[in-house]
Formats: sequence, C-alpha cells, structure tokens
Amino acid sequence: MQSVLKTLSVLLFAGTLSTSALAADPIKIGVVTPLSGTYAGIGQQVRWGLELATKEVNAAGGVMGRQIELIFEDEEANPSVAVQKAEKLFQVSKVDFLTGTVNSGSTLAVGQLAERSGKLIATTVSFADSITADKCSPNVFRVNARAGQQSAALAAWMSKEKPKAKVFYLGPDYEMGRSTVAAFKSNVDRVGGESAGEVFAPLDSKDYTQYFGQLRAARPQVLYTSVAGNDTVRLFTQLQEFGLLANMTVLGASGTVTAQNISAIGKAAEGFVTGVGYSAEVASPENKKFVEAFRAATKSDPDLYGADSYGLIYAYKAAVEKAQSTETDKLREALRGLKWSTPQGEKTIRAGDHQAEQVMYVVRVKDGKFGVVAEVSGPDAIGADTCTRF
Amino acid sequence: MLEYIQFVLAPQVVTGLALGVAVILVALGLTIIFGLLDVINMSHGEFYAMGAFIALALGQVGLPFWALLIAVPLLMLPIGYVVERGLIQRVFNSPDRHVTTLLLTFGFGLVLEDGLRLIFGPNPHRPETPIPGAIEILGTYLPLYRLFMVGFGGLLILATALIVYRTRLGAMVRAAAFDRNMAASLGVPVEKVYAGAFAFGVALAGIAGVLLAPIYSVFPTMGRDFILLAFTVIIVGGMGSIGGATIAGLFLTQVQAISSLYISPVWADPIVFAIMVIMLVVRPRGLKGRLGHA
Repeated sequence: MQSVLKTLSVLLFAGTLSTSALAADPIKIGVVTPLSGTYAGIGQQVRWGLELATKEVNAAGGVMGRQIELIFEDEEANPSVAVQKAEKLFQVSKVDFLTGTVNSGSTLAVGQLAERSGKLIATTVSFADSITADKCSPNVFRVNARAGQQSAALAAWMSKEKPKAKVFYLGPDYEMGRSTVAAFKSNVDRVGGESAGEVFAPLDSKDYTQYFGQLRAARPQVLYTSVAGNDTVRLFTQLQEFGLLANMTVLGASGTVTAQNISAIGKAAEGFVTGVGYSAEVASPENKKFVEAFRAATKSDPDLYGADSYGLIYAYKAAVEKAQSTETDKLREALRGLKWSTPQGEKTIRAGDHQAEQVMYVVRVKDGKFGVVAEVSGPDAIGADTCTRF
Repeated sequence: MLEYIQFVLAPQVVTGLALGVAVILVALGLTIIFGLLDVINMSHGEFYAMGAFIALALGQVGLPFWALLIAVPLLMLPIGYVVERGLIQRVFNSPDRHVTTLLLTFGFGLVLEDGLRLIFGPNPHRPETPIPGAIEILGTYLPLYRLFMVGFGGLLILATALIVYRTRLGAMVRAAAFDRNMAASLGVPVEKVYAGAFAFGVALAGIAGVLLAPIYSVFPTMGRDFILLAFTVIIVGGMGSIGGATIAGLFLTQVQAISSLYISPVWADPIVFAIMVIMLVVRPRGLKGRLGHA
C-alpha cells in the first residue's frame, strides 16, 4: 500500500512539474532581508513594498506575460548569514534577481557573491556611499539615495535659506560621525558657507554642556550634528535647557531624529531639518496613490525603505521589458541609464556607478512630525561618479 | 576673558554641581548600605533606573512632577525592604559575605535591567523638563531646572545627614553598624534596621532617577551611567561616610566638568579614576572613616 502511495505521489509531483513548465515560468526574485532582530522593522517595510508592487504588476499581466514570484530569506542583518541565504537562493531556488539587503556590510558581501555567481542584485536600503563609489560592482545597483545625496540636498537647501551661514559641527566621535561631518562640511564649503568650529563628542555622552561655551561664543546660525539614538535626546534637551535653540537652526543626518527617539526629544526636536530620499508627505499624485495602496494593504504608513523597495519592482519590470530578457548581461545593459517612474517621481540609474539619481527632499519637524519643506533636483544632489571599476 | 567666564566656566560649574548632587544621592544610598550592612550593592544603578521608570509611568497617567518626588521614594521603600529581606538577608551570614552578596546583587541588577527592557522597550523616553527656561545672572545663562536640582538635592543630603547623625533612628543605625551583636543585645531590632537602611538607600537612588530623568532621559541601561562614578565617590570619600561622600562627590564632579572643557571628555573619566587609585594607595580608608566608626 505504501509503495503505491509513493508511486502515486511521484506521479502527481511530476505532473505538477510538467504543467507549470507548459505555462510561462514565473520570474523568481530572491529577497534576503532581516525578518528578525533589530532591523526587523526595516525588513518589514522592504517586504511590504516589494509585495505591493509585485501584486500590482502581476495583476496587470506580469512582466512579458510572466508572473513575478518573491522568495524571502531572513538575513538577520548579518553579512555572513546574508551570503549563505543568497547562495541558497542563487543555487537551489535559481532566482533571476536578488534584493532586500539592509545593512551596507550585507549588500557589499552579497554583491561579491553575485559577481561570482553571474547574477545581478539591487539594494533598496543601504546608505554607505562606498557601495556605488570605491567599492562599486558591475553586478550591484542601488535604487535608493545614498548618504552623500542626503547631505548634498541639505547643504543646497541651507545655501538658499541661510546664505553664507556660519555652521558649527558636532558629531559623535567615531567613523560614521567623522565621515558625515566631513561630507557635510565639504558640501557647505561648496555652497559658500563658513565653519564656526567643530567638536566630536564620545558616544553615550551624558553631558554636552562642556561644548556649549564654545558654541555660544562662536554665534553660529546653523548647528549640524550627526549624533543618533539616545545621544540625540540628550544633546537636543540640553541645547534647549541652555537656551541655545532660540537663534539657531539645527540640521542633521537622516538618522539623527527618527521614529524611535522623536517622542523622547519632544519639543526640543521642533524645527530640526534633514535631507531624505522619501517622505510619505510628498504631495505628488503618484505618491498619494502609492501611500493609499500601501495603507490599504498593510495598515501602516510607508517609509523610505517601503517606497524604494516598491519602486525597485517597477525598475526591474522596465529593464526586463527593455532587454526582452532576464539574462544577466542583457539586463545589466538595460538597467544602465534606465529611467522609470516611482512614488518619488522619475528616477534614473547612472550608468557609470549604478547609483539612482532622484529628487531629494528636505524635511523639517513641526508639531512632532516631519513635513516636506523643499525639494532638491536629482543632478544637484547626486555628486560625482567616483566608481572606476567599470 | 570675561566672556570666557560667563559663557564657559560659570555654566559648567553649575552643570558640575547639578551632576554632583545627583551622584551624591546615588552614592549616599551605596555608602549607607555598605557602611551598615557591609554589602556592596551592585544593583544600585538599576534602582536608580527603576526610580526614573516609575516616575515616567506615573507621569504618563498624569501625576505632576512635584508629586513624583514624594511618590517614587515612597514606592521604592517597600521594594527595597522586600529585596533586603527576601534576597540579601538569606545569604547575609554566609562565610564569604562580600563575594556572595556582590554576585547576588550583580545578578539581580541584570534581571532588573532586562525587566525594564521587557516592560518599557529599548527606546529612550523623557519627561518634559518641569521647570523650563533659564535665568541670566551677570551675563551667565543658567538653566532653572539645574539650579533647582542643586537646591533640592542639597536639602536631601542635609536631611539624610541629620537623620543618620541626629535622630534616635540614626543612632540605632550607627549602633548596628558599629557592633551588631552589642546593638542587638541592647534591644535594637538589627534585622529590621538593616532592611530599613537598605530601603532608604534604594529610595535615595529612586529620587536621583526622578531628578535626572528630564536631563539625561530614561532607558533600560541608564543604571550603568552613574554606578562607576558613585563607587568612586564612596571609595574616595570613605566607605560608609556621609560627609566623605558629599565632599568627594562635589570634588570629583567638578574635576570631571572642568577638565572636560580642556581635554576630550573621554579623558575626564580616567582622571577621576586615577584620583580614586591614588586615594586607595595613599589613604585606603578614604577622606573620612566608616559609618559608626568615626
């Protein structure tokens, strides 16, 4: 009896295989993203964005008549796990394309694997400039804005609002803090601002008051900071306590004030300005339609990760239809210079470094929420192409 | 020069004073518990965090800040009492009391920290500053809330010293610290005095938590921020001495505040700890002697 069942199931299995082979095969897209751990919230947005766009594309007839199928793997925000899971998706699931990596380490590591496997990947989240600069790869694309674009957009806004402003810099004393301050400083120099001094505070500082004397004496119009997490809470609170926020505009990195700490900062966050690649508040009709669909599907607002992941599926669709193929070399050619439509408007992938050029937004905190105060055009924000590998 | 004093030096002295008063409140609890029970309470920082979180929770249901300054220590008293009777008293008479109680309180501190994380989540919170604004004295900008902290904390320190040195209750505490068996035979309820003193120390840490929450924000690992400094203060001041802890607390926080103007704040901590090491070498019993012994 058992052997009969076995034979029967083998027959049935073979039957399903042959029928699916008869219909058009789905295009498989692997998604290696953190579904558990600290970055699970980001992974959730990535998943929601990809699923929503895939549903829309499939309902409209798919890509060249083929449906898109997403295959998810949890990378736990750990580059070595990400590589393992990506390898599995390339070798076992035979995916045509891969996306989802969140931290920059994962994106770089999976990018190397993609080169070895002759596949293409795209990140929709990672910020590190190096991914599309000195560590660029012919097999890696980025459809979200990198850190340099945020910084350039903010500086462009500042030069209009506060021409020739005196800027004081306060960064956390480690690699990210020093590089963000240096990047913004070079942007400020470019737009004609002036430095009023800079200090670097240790991570987890209890007090920032020892810098306030220098800050007060320098009388800057603008304070730029890239502290994050609880450090932001303390810095902003103490600035407010010592009455320093009254005559000064505070600008910062996009990770300085976030959903995690904005309520703890409270009133001291009012007026804070930063540059981002997306905001749910963007007033274009494309974005309104997207936000509505996203809310209906998930009961949540999209953030930049959700929006950029949503946009990626449309970039892939446009590129496959342009190349008339999912084959790596043809698809790469199609992606280079591709223009496609996203919730943020039209984006272009720069052929020289595979970085997407897009409109950037300057957002300001008002009544405890970010609102868009200005847009900076793509070419003004993207910065130089420094990729030399291809 | 004048601008330097107005803008830099004077505000920093006040900042140091406010921090000093808060550290002394944390250290007082530690030093009383050590002087009396001979127990090094490694979970003291977490009681400070607990005070801040209770204040946060009560503040969210609408209790004003002034009421919190009374309600939080009142709630912390029974918690401290139960912890002493339920945990510390059980291992108090073990042969290696220092090590056993140190490990016990260290473990308990970890449990408390994770408990706070489970209940309140890992993100920071902050109550609004109850006295916003600042006054300008001779061109120096001083936040009102920090001035309030210095005044209120100073009163609390004075009250603690009066209770320990000038009341009948304080006499019982000092007697029990000096000679446990003699005090017991003279009718001092030693075990209750122990638990009571522990609870008192915990309540002081709780008040420090309430006072500092608007400035330093509230998060599960906040207990680690002050515990090293508080231990340094009681070592320099003399383990178990209230006066010593006060002097050492004010001195060390000024050293920290002023030195961080001239060197990176990363180096301010090593200076403070170096003073502790020098003190241990030159004068191991600290500035003042132990509680009940001086």
